[in-house]
Amino acid sequence: MGSVVEIAPLTRLEGHGRVRIYREGCRVERVELQFVDSPRLFEALLVGKSFAEVPEIICRICALCSTVHKVTALLAVENAFGVEVSEVTSLTRDLMLQAGMVQDHALHLYCLVLPDLLGVRGVAELARVAPELLKTGLAIKKAGNLVLETAGGRLIHPVNICLGGLGRCLNRKELTLLRDELQKVLPAAQEAHRLFSTPFPFPELPAPDFLALHPSDRPLQAQLCRMGDDPAFPLRDYREHIEETVLEYSHAKLSKVHGKEATVGAQARLNQGPDLEPLAAKLFADHRHELVGRDMRGNNLAQAIEMCHATERALRLVERLMELGTRRADAAPIAPRAATGCAACEAPRGTLIHSYSFDPQGICSAADVITPTALNQGALARDLLALARGMEGEETSRMTTAVERLIRCYDPCISCSVHVLSL
Amino acid sequence: MRPMKIAITGLTACSGCQLTLLNCEDQLPDLLARCELVYFPLAESGNTLEVKFDAAIVEGAVSTPKDLELLFQLRNASTHLVAYGTCALFGGVAAMNNRTSCRQDLLHTVFGAAEKLPESFAPAPLANYVSVDAAVTGCPPEKQEIAELVAALAAGTLPPPRSYPVCTECRSRENLCLLLEKKELCLGPVVQGGCNARCPATGIVCEGCRGPVREANVAQELELLLERGFGRDEIERRMSRFKPEWDYGQRR
Repeated sequence: MGSVVEIAPLTRLEGHGRVRIYREGCRVERVELQFVDSPRLFEALLVGKSFAEVPEIICRICALCSTVHKVTALLAVENAFGVEVSEVTSLTRDLMLQAGMVQDHALHLYCLVLPDLLGVRGVAELARVAPELLKTGLAIKKAGNLVLETAGGRLIHPVNICLGGLGRCLNRKELTLLRDELQKVLPAAQEAHRLFSTPFPFPELPAPDFLALHPSDRPLQAQLCRMGDDPAFPLRDYREHIEETVLEYSHAKLSKVHGKEATVGAQARLNQGPDLEPLAAKLFADHRHELVGRDMRGNNLAQAIEMCHATERALRLVERLMELGTRRADAAPIAPRAATGCAACEAPRGTLIHSYSFDPQGICSAADVITPTALNQGALARDLLALARGMEGEETSRMTTAVERLIRCYDPCISCSVHVLSL
Repeated sequence: MRPMKIAITGLTACSGCQLTLLNCEDQLPDLLARCELVYFPLAESGNTLEVKFDAAIVEGAVSTPKDLELLFQLRNASTHLVAYGTCALFGGVAAMNNRTSCRQDLLHTVFGAAEKLPESFAPAPLANYVSVDAAVTGCPPEKQEIAELVAALAAGTLPPPRSYPVCTECRSRENLCLLLEKKELCLGPVVQGGCNARCPATGIVCEGCRGPVREANVAQELELLLERGFGRDEIERRMSRFKPEWDYGQRR
């Protein structure tokens, strides 16, 4: 007899989602992954708004990734109008991306994944059974957040980074504070991998096709995207390589790259062989065999390694900003023109692409945002089916636990993915 | 004293208000000890709606039948219902085009000619559908505001509402006035304070993310901006970023 197991709402992740497992006897027929956040239609709302408003509005797509959405939007608008920004501006933006990575991975690993490892409901129980671990995680997160709030003027939806420049530069006192706080949490960030290095003991999953920005590009100047061993493709042609379809049962669109389900995120980046900071490079060398070419159960470990990398890199950027001194970074002038601009950054959850077109007065005529979770949706659905099939005949509760844990490996951000693009 | 039972969730929103609670790293362990998070899908598993809540803290606007269903469930089950953040209070960014475009057109722009569009109507504040007992504004709210709210609820009371504009805190911080001295499109005079004038303090205009202050003199703000050469369209577009409906007084 046919039966349906529903997991709703999905918990310990951002947004509203549910999973349905359709079974015939104990055989799994299909698995449906639904992202059901109420659509906010950002791309439609942006049409008719001035270029200056675009980054301020679009960062509201998502709170967890508001910094990287804002930076990517700034880069895309600047790309359209041919604006070059100063080194201080660029370094400050990069610093915020690194800090965003630190705080986001810390939140996910210590508040949302750790309860699985300790068999508790969530963050409240964690505070009772493992107060020290939770405190360690919160301390790392707090350091990342301090950088975001100091450099961004506000923690979520930052205001200090703006088109062409900065509202104000960080002063020496602030930079010293950031350096001290980052240094304090570096040892903890370096140790985090120990907690997350054992993949959970469920059936092996299909080998992913990892997609990331090409690691040889300079920070904030990504030009190329690469999937697996396929030849890299230029970012500006992304529409020719990423194909999207509307799904009847989900509010997010399904993306395929070169006809395959791409996988983006921490593990994808590590698979593309990035230039890691020294401590993280050592960690990656030790764990290489668990991450390269392996399935997504390694992603939480990859996030832990990246958290260390981002902390080190943030420290290096703070030191560079101190060297440059706090001289005023003049805002680059902006002259709107009819043009299309495109930019991409590596967000905590993977590759994020923004593209905007403007009329001669700088009024937005089209907007397109491709989020990591939308890119990952196909691979996640494929892995969920493989996992459920691999556990046929096992207790239902064991299967649903495994399903939820796999989803947390992917770390989806549903409000990002639901809003989608003009066809 | 038994810990109070709380529900925290989001409707049409970005999760930023809920995340702000998790960003209170220093106060979090203490706050968690004072309440039982019975329903908080963002950070807890094993949630249930089948209990009586002392308070439901709800982020986001209402824009789908599912939003409404959850809102009614929470209202019926809770002693206090708190509108948490600008979207819940005023509609927020998702509602910015409510006055200017039709929902179906927006849906078609995004989902194309797909046969089955998601069910969605113009995003609206919680108070359009249910009674609201307390409110915390901001996109996102300040950390101390959510800590203050949870502490007040735990003490059996509600936080006092604020009613002064962004300019009050901005002047006391001695920031350069972006509206009068730099002639920029700053909404500080008509927008609710409590953020310690974060944005003007970094040299960026107030974008109005906390919604209107009580007794805002909107007509005068409009006059000031028109005098400085901004177009009526631009001003209204900026004003409606977080709240689509404003009373422009005699200037209407």
